[in-house]
Amino acid sequence: MILRPSDVEEAVSLLGEGARARAGNTGAASALAAGADVVDLTGVAGLRGVRPGPEGSVQVGAATTVAELAQAPGLARSHPALVRTAAALATPEVRESATVGGNLLQRNRCAYLRDPAFSCLQDGGRGCPARSGDHPRGVVVDSGGCVEPHPSSLAVALLAQEATVEVASPGGRRSVDAGELYASGEGAGDHVLGPDEVVVSVHLPGPAAGERVGHLRAAARSRAEWPLVEAVVRLGVSGGVVGHARVAVGAVARVPLRLPQVEQALVGARPGQALDERAERALEGVRSWCAPLPQTGYKVALLGATVRGALEEALADPGR
Amino acid sequence: MDADVNGRRGPVPDSGTAAEHLREQLGLTGTKVACGSGACGACTVLVEGSPTVSCLLPADRLAGRTVTTVEGLNGEHAVQRAFVAHDAMQCGYCTPGFVVAAAAFTDRWRSEHGDVAPDRAAVADALSGHLCRCGAYEGIMAAVRAACAGEHDTDPEGAPPRSDAPEKVTGRALFTTDLGGSQAWEGVIVRSTRPHARVLKVSAGHTRTEPGGGDRAPVMVPLPVPDGVVRHVGQPVAAVAAPTAELARRAADQVQVDYAPLPPVIGTEQARRPGAPVLYPTAKERGRVPSYGEAPTPPAPWRGNVRGPGVVSRRGATAVDRLRRARRRDDPLLVAQEYTTATQAHTALEPHSTLARWEEDGSLTLEVSTQTVRKVVAKAAAHWGLEPEQVRVRAGYVGGAFGAKNGMTTDVVAAGELARVAGAPVRVRLSRSEELVDGGHRPGTSTKVALLADRRGRLRAMAVDSEGDGGMSVGSTTAALGALMYGAAPRRLRDFDVVTNRPPGAPMRAPGGPPLAWALEQAVDTMAARLGEDPLTLRRRWDGNPKRQALYRTVADLPLWRGRPRGPRPGRFRRGVGLAAATWVYMLAPQARVELRVVDGAVVARSATQDVGTGIRGVVSDVVTRRLGAPDGWVHVEIGDSGAVHGTGAFGSRTTPSMGPAAAEAADRLRGVLRERVPEMPAAGPVEEHTLKEALTAAEGLSVVGERKLDRWGQLTPSMANDLAVGRGLSGAVHVMEVEVDTLLGRVRPTRCWAGLGVGRVYSERMARNQVEGAVVQGVGYALFEELRHDPATGTVLSDDLEDYRLPGPGDVPETEVHFHQEGFEHVPGAGVGLGEVCAVGVAAAVGNAVHDATGRRPHALPVRPDRLLEGVR
Repeated sequence: MILRPSDVEEAVSLLGEGARARAGNTGAASALAAGADVVDLTGVAGLRGVRPGPEGSVQVGAATTVAELAQAPGLARSHPALVRTAAALATPEVRESATVGGNLLQRNRCAYLRDPAFSCLQDGGRGCPARSGDHPRGVVVDSGGCVEPHPSSLAVALLAQEATVEVASPGGRRSVDAGELYASGEGAGDHVLGPDEVVVSVHLPGPAAGERVGHLRAAARSRAEWPLVEAVVRLGVSGGVVGHARVAVGAVARVPLRLPQVEQALVGARPGQALDERAERALEGVRSWCAPLPQTGYKVALLGATVRGALEEALADPGR
Repeated sequence: MDADVNGRRGPVPDSGTAAEHLREQLGLTGTKVACGSGACGACTVLVEGSPTVSCLLPADRLAGRTVTTVEGLNGEHAVQRAFVAHDAMQCGYCTPGFVVAAAAFTDRWRSEHGDVAPDRAAVADALSGHLCRCGAYEGIMAAVRAACAGEHDTDPEGAPPRSDAPEKVTGRALFTTDLGGSQAWEGVIVRSTRPHARVLKVSAGHTRTEPGGGDRAPVMVPLPVPDGVVRHVGQPVAAVAAPTAELARRAADQVQVDYAPLPPVIGTEQARRPGAPVLYPTAKERGRVPSYGEAPTPPAPWRGNVRGPGVVSRRGATAVDRLRRARRRDDPLLVAQEYTTATQAHTALEPHSTLARWEEDGSLTLEVSTQTVRKVVAKAAAHWGLEPEQVRVRAGYVGGAFGAKNGMTTDVVAAGELARVAGAPVRVRLSRSEELVDGGHRPGTSTKVALLADRRGRLRAMAVDSEGDGGMSVGSTTAALGALMYGAAPRRLRDFDVVTNRPPGAPMRAPGGPPLAWALEQAVDTMAARLGEDPLTLRRRWDGNPKRQALYRTVADLPLWRGRPRGPRPGRFRRGVGLAAATWVYMLAPQARVELRVVDGAVVARSATQDVGTGIRGVVSDVVTRRLGAPDGWVHVEIGDSGAVHGTGAFGSRTTPSMGPAAAEAADRLRGVLRERVPEMPAAGPVEEHTLKEALTAAEGLSVVGERKLDRWGQLTPSMANDLAVGRGLSGAVHVMEVEVDTLLGRVRPTRCWAGLGVGRVYSERMARNQVEGAVVQGVGYALFEELRHDPATGTVLSDDLEDYRLPGPGDVPETEVHFHQEGFEHVPGAGVGLGEVCAVGVAAAVGNAVHDATGRRPHALPVRPDRLLEGVR
């Protein structure tokens, strides 16, 4: 049965009764949980739309589609890192249906998880068949459990945007940093929210002064591809010097990651010039974070290369 | 709440997908479901004007919204006219999705930019959610750009390049998956969950296993399991059918299969080990091993799981002796290398599907997505103990095949058996996952190639040892094809198969060709470098084939080749150009026939052949129209029905060189008869409309049959099984490929390709070009993306959807120019031979040589993934 709550509180209470949430329906979760009652979130009041706030900040409703996000007037100027990430993910048709909230809370794409013949950590089993099996697109920052990288591209961009996410629970609403949706990624599941919790909106702080951005997806195909590594870079430049830097990467770990040591090394860098020695050392240092699996050794170098490429793009970005 | 679909309002259900609702409730079957996961775009419809994948969209989401399907464009959109004019399709299965998305893009583009053509990247961005397995992207690109430029706002004059294109761009073309309506029961195949096991018992649960008139309860039939042993996860074991898909799925869940597990062997290395479990321990079992070769597999010895070698030699002992001595003296002109290829799935966008119906007189009607209606008749008659006249097989429109729809596939057996027990028509349509697991693949290979040259740069010896990794099947012919290349130097060519508990392969477009070229053509380039010679110069010296010699002359003057970069290339993005040569055997179907009948003052051409996307419907139409001297539109072609005179199966690149001459002969006969009745008809050339009309009116009801005349000097072989004979002369191809390698991220981007074909006279130029362009697309997929992956413990295919099995999209392929050298087959009626295979052989090899040219590193393993490239270029 399809339930169509009119507000967030009603939605949360229906989810508490065991129904399953449905937004764009483009993800793997819909295939994994058939049968249950469905709570359709796309008609919930106030859940959709991109609204400007004070000081250049922006509020994005969780049921806003990725296509609406990518085309939102003004957003390409104020939050280009997010817009570019959104415009590059999946396909135009999928972006038309997929929502921001759904993208953040989507299930991972592991072939072992989708095949009911296998049991794994994600569906209550005891081991990860991909770890001992086939995992060429797996994590390179291995935390010992599931080896499938987090699939959300928007989550990477939100880390770089220093976004916060408003979550509604039976107990009320709370605001968390985007990264807290995923915590360490060591548990089962692809995020930490309970089945009776939903993302209501995403809050994007205003742009940094003199913002420059870079976004790069490493992948074999040119489009319509899950990245092997994705990197989003935001730099705040004033007086010809980087004063603020955010670097986030995806498809390398169970959760999207920030690279604080690279961020720190970038402060003081000069746009228009090659990476300085400090930044080079920090990039080199990223390698030591990595703990590759047997088939993901290549991602150690590819992670560094993708971040480097995104940094160079940001340093060459003329700004807006 | 209601939805407005193509201007009609109606209720929407609270369950199922929008695609199911449109296709099954509203009968709008132009919308196709090909992947079921939003990856291929075949199901795209416009919701409030925006392209949306209807296979993921819940039906209830249509409520209160306006929907336009391909049918709703009414064939009047500029994009539809442009697709027809530019031949932007082959099989047509993906076409409605492309058309709908391209229509929305074109409208938006023109309103924002006016009537100017967008660049290729803009079109690729807009259509990046769409996949065409035939690879008709060049035509699609051209069509969309021209439609945006306002070139197709009015109806064109003259016939389209492909006669059935209007049916395909409007969604009117009915494929097997579109048939059956609500009367047909849905069949589901029950598959093995074990990699290797003896099947002890198949229990039906509550389903019925015997015919019982009028009963609507689900039915189950066991499917043939050779030796009673399943040999891969996903092997068909049984099938169930029920009046609805949902009931059929539930019935399938009830089927209980009891297995006695046998130890599995998954990897080829494991399979070779002494003491490894053996898949086919007895001679009897080995005699029944499935083969993915196109011809019957010649006998070869077995050792455990290794079959072979099958040897083709020309002074083989001399070749081996020369190579051994060269190795002992460390001869720098000995090139000895090893290359591997990955498993490539056919994965035609229309999955294998059959609709079976038993008639009251005991005869059987099968609607099958097949590349050979006649072979299905023969095999089905044998299977069910019927006379061939009691089996009728139809394949009106076939959504791609590439070699995998070549006979009694599982869907045919299951649908026929289920329909018999159910007492109702039953359709079986494989899911994309089933298609990727068990729908056929080109097996992976491991190939060792050795070439020896002397100081004067002459080829002194060649040896190729190749091992096919075809899962539970055999039939590798990779090395053997080395007999056809580079003159008469001594050579030993050995093919091996290693069997494992993984799914069987199937013949795929030029079986053995692409993997041999991948190895041999890169080895030849290596030799050229050792000799300090240009790769083209070396080939011109080694290669005795006159068609390729003519192509080499053209390549020598190509700006793409002459202007290629030389020397080391620094920087992140490096451009490189490589070439590869290819050959193929000329095959024909000596029994091909075309019947022409005068019906209602027009000409109907009939033959029991079928069009898998190559365009034979259009070729027959073109040939008959030209030979009769008729105006466009007077010849109507009816194929895809086994009831007609004998037509050829679409394999062995032989459809056009067999059907074309038969059509020509039929037209000549008809013209002769018409001249007897109306003497004003000229003997040749165009005929005045009123003269032709008068002649046809006088000949109403007349029928003539044209045969495929013999070649001058005869054939090389007699006509074999399946109406296949080998003719004289080899076809030739040369590909020149330009790539740009991103050395930072390890990505290869093919930018330009020149494809030269020596196949004699070309029948219908635009459609021929389309096939060659499509082969470049498939070859790029083979080179860079495509790879069936499996679980190393169970052999389970993991890449069982179109996200994990990566086909090239519109933005991944080079701008392609096709050149035909049209001489050399004057001994063949029509003077031309087939090109579907020869144009597919050398593409990946040319990519390999181009990557080497760009980076200085030679790729040895396919696909050339970023990880492999990064290892190589750093």
